[in-house]
Amino acid sequence: MIWRLAWRNLWRQRSRTLILMSAVTLSYAMVLAAMGVGDDSHFQMLDAAVEGAGGEVLVHGEGYWEARSGDILIDGAQTVGELVAAVDGVANVMPRVAIDGLLSTAVGNRPVQLLGIRPRAEVALRDVDADVVEGDRLDDTELRAPLLLGGPVAEELEVGPGDRVVLTATGADGELTRALFHVAGIVRSGRADLDEVLAYTTLEAAGDALGLDDQLVQFGVLVESGVEPETVQDRIREALPEGGAGLEVLTWREALPEMVGFIEIDDAFLYVYAVVIYLVVVFAIANTFLVSVLERVREFGLLNALGLRGGRLARLVLAETALMTALSMVLGLALALAIHGALARWGISVAAWGIEEIELAGVDLANMVMRSQIVVSKWVTASVLVAVATISSAIYPALRAARLAPAEAMRFYE
Amino acid sequence: MTTTPGGAPSAETVMDDAAQPIRVEGVTKVFRQGPLEVHALRGVDLVVDQGAFAALAGPSGCGKTTLLNLVGVLDTPTTGRVIVGGRDVSSLSRGEAADFRLAHVGFVFQAYNLVPVLIAYENAEFTLLLRNRDPAARRQIVEPLLERVGLGDMMDRKPHELSGGQQQRVAVVRALATQPSIVLADEPTANLDSAASDELIDLMLELNRELDTTFLFATHDRAVLDRTPWVIRMLDGRVVEDGASR
Ligand SMILES: Nc1ncnc2c1ncn2[C@@H]1O[C@H](COP(=O)(O)OP(=O)(O)OP(=O)(O)O)[C@@H](O)[C@H]1O
Ligand SMILES: [Mg+2]
Repeated sequence: MIWRLAWRNLWRQRSRTLILMSAVTLSYAMVLAAMGVGDDSHFQMLDAAVEGAGGEVLVHGEGYWEARSGDILIDGAQTVGELVAAVDGVANVMPRVAIDGLLSTAVGNRPVQLLGIRPRAEVALRDVDADVVEGDRLDDTELRAPLLLGGPVAEELEVGPGDRVVLTATGADGELTRALFHVAGIVRSGRADLDEVLAYTTLEAAGDALGLDDQLVQFGVLVESGVEPETVQDRIREALPEGGAGLEVLTWREALPEMVGFIEIDDAFLYVYAVVIYLVVVFAIANTFLVSVLERVREFGLLNALGLRGGRLARLVLAETALMTALSMVLGLALALAIHGALARWGISVAAWGIEEIELAGVDLANMVMRSQIVVSKWVTASVLVAVATISSAIYPALRAARLAPAEAMRFYE
Repeated sequence: MTTTPGGAPSAETVMDDAAQPIRVEGVTKVFRQGPLEVHALRGVDLVVDQGAFAALAGPSGCGKTTLLNLVGVLDTPTTGRVIVGGRDVSSLSRGEAADFRLAHVGFVFQAYNLVPVLIAYENAEFTLLLRNRDPAARRQIVEPLLERVGLGDMMDRKPHELSGGQQQRVAVVRALATQPSIVLADEPTANLDSAASDELIDLMLELNRELDTTFLFATHDRAVLDRTPWVIRMLDGRVVEDGASR
């Protein structure tokens, strides 16, 4: 009976109810949609950050990350690689040699960072071979010292597949060394920042160029899903001889602290935004329902005179709010899912806003496409909070209704 | 002091609940308005017998509504006792008072008697609904009563689709549906023209006789008073003439 009354009361002031409902619907939908976009961009940033760092956990010589100098090496790389690979929770080990050097052709010189990699091992992180647009892939080239060059570098040096290029770099012995490479293929990853500075070769060719002997610059590690990088970091330290003395084991979070900070701040902004929106909405609802109670003093007096206890009058007001909230939230959820669906499907390209350069902690975000992703637990939490906040905004008006003295109330409009 | 038709002297102390559904003993009511004290009732004694049809008369502000509110347990007296259906209701809590009203008192007010979002039938059955009577039982009680008061074909109308007199008749049905000990009405005819007013009083008189329900109501209306067998006159917070013997 309370619900029937509440439902009909809700539609007495149709336009007022509709305005209130649209406020709840829109604010709820916006909070959810913003959360969808925010979470997705965070996931994208996490992916970009892990990719930029070179793995979820990094193992390299003490001081390498700080100095990025190619002469800080991991000795006994074979053993270290095997130990790391055997650690519980490690999904993928990617041995690397990074060389800062100068590429020269008859036309000119160009500084690059040459990465010696095992292409297959890197696929889970970034599939370089998939970006080859011309020539051979690293994985199936016949060349002994193959080189993948980014499009812009190849253009500047005026080389193509099959051409010869000379690398000049500091060798393992600290002496300047030169090595001859053959261009195997041209890479266009769609990320200008990478294509302009990175070049790739095989792990063996890079080692030969520097004269390495069972030495490497870095192991990138990917962990099994559901395992925290920090856990694996600890286990790797334990597994390494002498607790990893002379080696540095970092998680990507430690490697890119700015990125982690940015995501946290971004999340915090979303919370603040949601809270501010909701304070406004809740205040508006409380106010509207108070007005609607005060307008019906005489009627509540009548209901109470007829024997409806104060508590049930309060429940009537709460039921009106609950119905309004439930209806608005169903609509809001539908709207949020529609926005989510549209964004997830088509996305909004950051580049389309005219933003050409946006970089964070060395990770390029200009190619990021805004999409949406639902983190179910967060949506549920947000919904519960919205429901609780909205309905509780009617508590004060409900108490006012419950406290009306019938004799006083009946004197209204008489 | 009040007298009752055929009332025995012992009625002052020993109450026959069934015979005297309303007893008011030495009741005063003071309203405080800031520093001001309004003495709305200055010592009222009143006994109304079972099956009576009694009117409270008197000039505006003499305390009719205040007295009806005390008898209807909508308010509590400042001093004195109000006994309804044999129960002292002078100091019930708000919740107990609501329950008591539902169980024992039927109300017809001057205006805005009906819940605007409910149709005539739903308004009429409202008190039965509050008493958790099942739908079939409610229909069995309410439908004949609505037909009895001439609203058989208007049960589905919203209050604003009914005339003032029709609205009051719905309120009468609602008041009677629960078979209360007493029905109280505060100026039930004040918003009606004389024809509708006559009709309503006739109806109430007939139902009073048919159902033997006790009616106590307040009115200004001379025409109504002329047709009322028992008129209680009030002045300035006191009962000045209890025309019970008329
Ligand atoms: N809640 C209240 N607060 C203050 N004064 C009140 C209150 N209720 C009634 N009064 C005062 O008590 C006195 C009696 O009022 P009451 O309403 O009982 O008169 P009444 O006989 O019903 O008058 P009317 O015929 O105009 O309805 C009046 O002076 C009125 O102003
Ligand atoms: Mg009055």
